[in-house]
Amino acid sequence: MAAKTQSTPWTKPAGKPTAGKVVPRPARTAQVQAYLPEFFKGLGLTMRHFFKNTKEMMLGQKADPVLESLSEGITTIMYPEEKRPYPERFRGVHRLTLRDDGSPRCVACLCCSTACPAQCIHIEPAEYPVGDARRGYERFPGSFVIDELRCVFCGFCVEACPCDAIRMDTGHHPVPYDSRDQFIYKKELLMTFTGRDGERLTENPRHEPGDPSHPGISRDQHH
Amino acid sequence: MSLVVVVVALVKIIIMVGFLLNMAAIATWADRRQGAMVQDRVGPNRAVVTLPSIVVQALFVLPPGIFATFAGFAAVKGVPAAGVAESTLLALQASVFVTWFSLMVLCFVVRRKGAANGLDELVASWTPRSILVTGLAFHVVAFVVVSGMPAAQMPMASRVANGLLALIFACVGIYSAAKVPEGKVGIRLAGTLHAIADTIKMIWKEDFVPPKGDKILHSLAPILSVFPVLVTCAVIPFGRTLCFRDLNNNGFDFADIGSVMPAMGSTFQCPKGTAVPLQIADLNVGILYIFAMAGTGVIGAAIAGWASDNKWSLLGGLRAASQMVSYEVAMGISLISLLLIYGSVRLGPMVEWQSTHTWGIFVQPGAFVLFLVALLAETKRVPFDQPEGESEIVAGYFVEYSGMKWGMFMTGEYVEVITSSILLVTLFFGGYALPFLDPDGIRVAFGDNVLFTYKMNHVAVVVISAIAFFTKVIVMAWAQVFIRWTLPRFRYDQLMKLGWTRLLPLALGNMLVTAIVVLAVNGHADIEGALALVADVTQALIALGMLAAVLAFFFGIVEPVKRQKVLLSTAQKFAAAAGGVRMAPRQA
Repeated sequence: MAAKTQSTPWTKPAGKPTAGKVVPRPARTAQVQAYLPEFFKGLGLTMRHFFKNTKEMMLGQKADPVLESLSEGITTIMYPEEKRPYPERFRGVHRLTLRDDGSPRCVACLCCSTACPAQCIHIEPAEYPVGDARRGYERFPGSFVIDELRCVFCGFCVEACPCDAIRMDTGHHPVPYDSRDQFIYKKELLMTFTGRDGERLTENPRHEPGDPSHPGISRDQHH
Repeated sequence: MSLVVVVVALVKIIIMVGFLLNMAAIATWADRRQGAMVQDRVGPNRAVVTLPSIVVQALFVLPPGIFATFAGFAAVKGVPAAGVAESTLLALQASVFVTWFSLMVLCFVVRRKGAANGLDELVASWTPRSILVTGLAFHVVAFVVVSGMPAAQMPMASRVANGLLALIFACVGIYSAAKVPEGKVGIRLAGTLHAIADTIKMIWKEDFVPPKGDKILHSLAPILSVFPVLVTCAVIPFGRTLCFRDLNNNGFDFADIGSVMPAMGSTFQCPKGTAVPLQIADLNVGILYIFAMAGTGVIGAAIAGWASDNKWSLLGGLRAASQMVSYEVAMGISLISLLLIYGSVRLGPMVEWQSTHTWGIFVQPGAFVLFLVALLAETKRVPFDQPEGESEIVAGYFVEYSGMKWGMFMTGEYVEVITSSILLVTLFFGGYALPFLDPDGIRVAFGDNVLFTYKMNHVAVVVISAIAFFTKVIVMAWAQVFIRWTLPRFRYDQLMKLGWTRLLPLALGNMLVTAIVVLAVNGHADIEGALALVADVTQALIALGMLAAVLAFFFGIVEPVKRQKVLLSTAQKFAAAAGGVRMAPRQA
């Protein structure tokens, strides 16, 4: 007989036996002991699985690995040819969104690189040349570099960006390369990526300085 | 021994060894790939050969093109008068079969990949089941048409039927070639290339020999384990005896090769001329030779275990030796009851007995079960694979083998599967015999009541019998592989207990009972007549069963599997919106 345990706040009240569920054990019936009936039952089960799966493969009627992942049948994904759809909000490789004229929306405010916990974003801001309408309102990234090996894909940069200039909606995971410097994504590369909809722009309207819709101050307004 | 006899023997050896080695590779594929399918996985199927589109098109055109050429020759040149009726029937039935089978395949392909033209759309609008039923109806129509045709019109009909067949083959070849996509095409052949890729890999792998092992014996063991299973097949008859006429009355020579007997009597003896048994060596010791050779198989495993200088391989070798020796006894004694009935130890007469009476499994079902169990133990495969039990002794007697030496053990194992199914078929499933197929054609008879007769060409009978033999072997090998997928391994003491305390007494008892029954029945004509009638009934059952199996196979394949879709998670809902898992172009 097992010794009674002391009652502590961390255990069940002492002295009460645990009420377990009685699991029925298979009996040693004559049918089981004869071996052959069970053997043929097992063969039948194997054959059922085999014929069903073979038929599905032959008919090109395989179970969908995502939609029917819990049902029986072969749900292997033939990877390079077939791909599992990522969830809608999957954070993939970064991209730099563009303005209508093809330049990056980024204004080099350094919010993303400041927010980045992995410190994988490096931006060198640059001024627009004299005479450009944007000079004096905003800067642009002279160089914009993301080290995808350091990145932890937390998405803080996207949340920090005030201009909707950096996004992680490409739907791609980083491609495996054979050397580390290939994982350093530069501005030009980041600008070529598209979102899942195939667009390099975003749906958020961008108000250029001088536009009537521009919400901020203009050169004509003086303090 | 004349040169022609040597050449004929070489041809027979090439047929048998070629069959064994090819089937070993295919059995390897089946065991891995189809075994994975049982567990809802796809198994190894990624080995690929990338060929240019034009080569693949040639591969699609070539086989139908060859058949079309043969049929076209038959249509233009005409067929010899002796076989004209059979040629017409064969060509017509082949045309019907090729047509409905290709249409069914096309229907599946078009439904999966989309229609390219009007014909595709038309075929896709039919159901596979309707194509199958229409095809079967046309088979019957073709049979009725040819049966009712007057003999005078037969040569013309033969030409027309063969021309039709050639046309259909040509259409099938060209149309399937046109379906091959542009650019480079990856050929996977359902994963069968994986066995080849594995062999290439094994040949180039390091050949490791344990430094303290016995180098000569270590190299000898794989050979000793492959050799016996290959030579066992020397005494197996794989088709009916082929009878040649003696044209120039100087015995069998090369001039006689082309002149096979046109038709035969209903007996197994050749009326005159030369009999060429489709059997590599007709030894008078027959089954004893098989036991002698199979018995030496244990030497390879035992030597491999000892020469490797490894305690696990030694244990595996010991287990293999004791297991194979134990089951050899039960195996031999279980067959004695069969020999009492067949009245011969030679395999040719055994199959002839089964051909004229009934298959061995109906006369000796008990011996069949005992023999099957002992045979499974002899092949050292699941559920009797203690010699290589992974969970206990790593890989058993071949734990110290690598590269192609290990590959030889595996090849030997799979050849052994084929060899053992050859034995099972020859002893219990009628060898090359088919129900109601007599040496001179089909004759459906119960006792003395003849229901249906159909005279056939001698060559046709021989070819059908050989095809029947190899098909039966494939089915039996597949059944053995199925046993491997189903059963868990026995414990070692259970194995020994089963062998010595169950199989051996049962086999002895079976032998005793059979001997008494044979003595009692011998000489009583009325009992023997009744038994012959029962034998004919079993033959009818086999014929019906085979027909039902073929029909069930085709009808089962065309019925699509119905699935109930229940979306459980948001990821699944998103995937459903995206159209499921998508085919994506290959990326760099």
